[in-house]
Amino acid sequence: MFKILVVEDDRELNRSVCSFLNQSGYEATGCLFAEEAYDVMYETVFDLIISDIMMPNIDGFEFVKTVRTLNENIPILFMTARDDFASKQRGYRVGVDDYMVKPIDLDELFLRIGALLRRAKIASSRRLEVGNFTMDSDEHTAYLDGDEIPLTQREFNLLYKLLSYPKKTFTRTQLMDEFWDADTESGTRTVDVYMTKLRSKLSSCDAFEIVTVHGLGYKAVIK
Amino acid sequence: MKKYTLIKRILKWFNHYFVFFLLVAFVITCCTMLFVSTLRETLEITLTDANISAAAKLTFWNVALLSLIFTVFDTVRRKLTVERPVKRITEAAEKIVQGDFTVRVKPQNKLGTDDTFNRVIDCFNKMAEELSSTETLRTDFVANVSHELKTPLAVMQNYGTLLQQPNLPDENRVEYAKAITDASRRLANLITNILKLNKLENQQIIPQFEEYDLSEQVCECLLGFEEAWEKKELDIKTDIEDGVTVKSDAEMMSLVWNNLFSNAIKFTERNGTVSLSIKSDDDYAVVKISDTGCGISAEVGKRMFDKFYQGDTSHATQGNGLGLALVKRVIDITGSDISVESELGKGTTFTVKIRRNTI
Repeated sequence: MFKILVVEDDRELNRSVCSFLNQSGYEATGCLFAEEAYDVMYETVFDLIISDIMMPNIDGFEFVKTVRTLNENIPILFMTARDDFASKQRGYRVGVDDYMVKPIDLDELFLRIGALLRRAKIASSRRLEVGNFTMDSDEHTAYLDGDEIPLTQREFNLLYKLLSYPKKTFTRTQLMDEFWDADTESGTRTVDVYMTKLRSKLSSCDAFEIVTVHGLGYKAVIK
Repeated sequence: MKKYTLIKRILKWFNHYFVFFLLVAFVITCCTMLFVSTLRETLEITLTDANISAAAKLTFWNVALLSLIFTVFDTVRRKLTVERPVKRITEAAEKIVQGDFTVRVKPQNKLGTDDTFNRVIDCFNKMAEELSSTETLRTDFVANVSHELKTPLAVMQNYGTLLQQPNLPDENRVEYAKAITDASRRLANLITNILKLNKLENQQIIPQFEEYDLSEQVCECLLGFEEAWEKKELDIKTDIEDGVTVKSDAEMMSLVWNNLFSNAIKFTERNGTVSLSIKSDDDYAVVKISDTGCGISAEVGKRMFDKFYQGDTSHATQGNGLGLALVKRVIDITGSDISVESELGKGTTFTVKIRRNTI
């Protein structure tokens, strides 16, 4: 069972988030202050941290900074009332993985935690499995039912990205920015060419599908 | 007090008189000197002390009398053409100070006077009209705010009370709890929007102009609503020019797109269509967001950018009437332009024009 640490100075909010997480199949521990959180983390290893920003003494930014020096990989989610861009920017800079503005929707929190844990698992195992389809990011190889499917490096990266964030649509520009050189002369429609190639190579795979979203971008939908 | 004002008036009167006296004395002295010196040269009259002093006395009384006549005449003129209109205007202003915004000042008849005061009166009436319309807006605004804030609170309170009943069947308990969650969500959205709008309105926000990829931003904003349009099975049509860049405040502009998309999706029936087009020329980037929703009547169109105004009260549960006010505010701050075309029952198109280079 995944262990989640909740650092939030409002007692009621902390309690409600913890009991929601406990009911949803996680093991949640609530702490009211960052100091308390340090003590708890000394004894237990957590899989994910949810933290507030505005807390007495040690605030969220400082807390996350300290945690990041000890553990680079643990997913951290900020849950805060501050919705200004500067705070978000600062949050991501100190190393949070996700940011939710209060009042938070508990169902959405559940979904985001699921996605964060999934990505953390992919990142730590360097392997991605969707039904009968497997991708190994160390070897840059993809297997369907145990048979290797030849993919170029860029094809592999594109697919790995889409499958790491299932159901999330990426625009062509987002994909270009990540997988092509900045000074490339090819237009964003090049992405279309790659998607067509990927689809034909994976035509026999029925674990997922690459969907075009109304001329906006692409996403992978797991069946 | 009365005595004091009387003395003041007398002093003022003497002051006027003195001014006129000096003026008349100056004019007459100049004229007489010129007249006498010309006479002396041409007719060679010799002046003696005696006849000079007699003429001087007579002239002095003449000056005194003329000044008196002028002063009286001027006082009467002043009363009629200045003091009366000023009094009317000040009386009306007093009323406005006391909160009566219905007063209007009648313009003077134009005969014999210049229209300076009429210009002041026109201006005054315009001001009074503007004040009375903002006053109605303010009262409406307060009424709307309290309605929007209190309704969800009342819902929560009522269902909270209902939940306290012992032996409540499970299905009712879930239903009541859900109602409370929905109401609190609505309240949360409302408060977020009020705070955002307040920030935009009350603080001097300097937009951070930077060149960025508008096409990409609008696409990403639209993608944020993917779940919502899939739920309503809407058709999304896009006609997007790639890589249109503008110089504007990206964070603020995203508020515009999010609100316009949210409205388009909210007001379009199941299986309807929402379209997005982005075009550009040398000077402007034009973003069009259309829906096939219920449309906006001309009357609603006039007020839809007002705070808390909602065209259709039956949609009240879906929004809080702040979205378009936010949009308008951002458009004004960033110096862009927004226009609306709509046909009742057919749909609405919002067109946003952004200058590509703000110098």
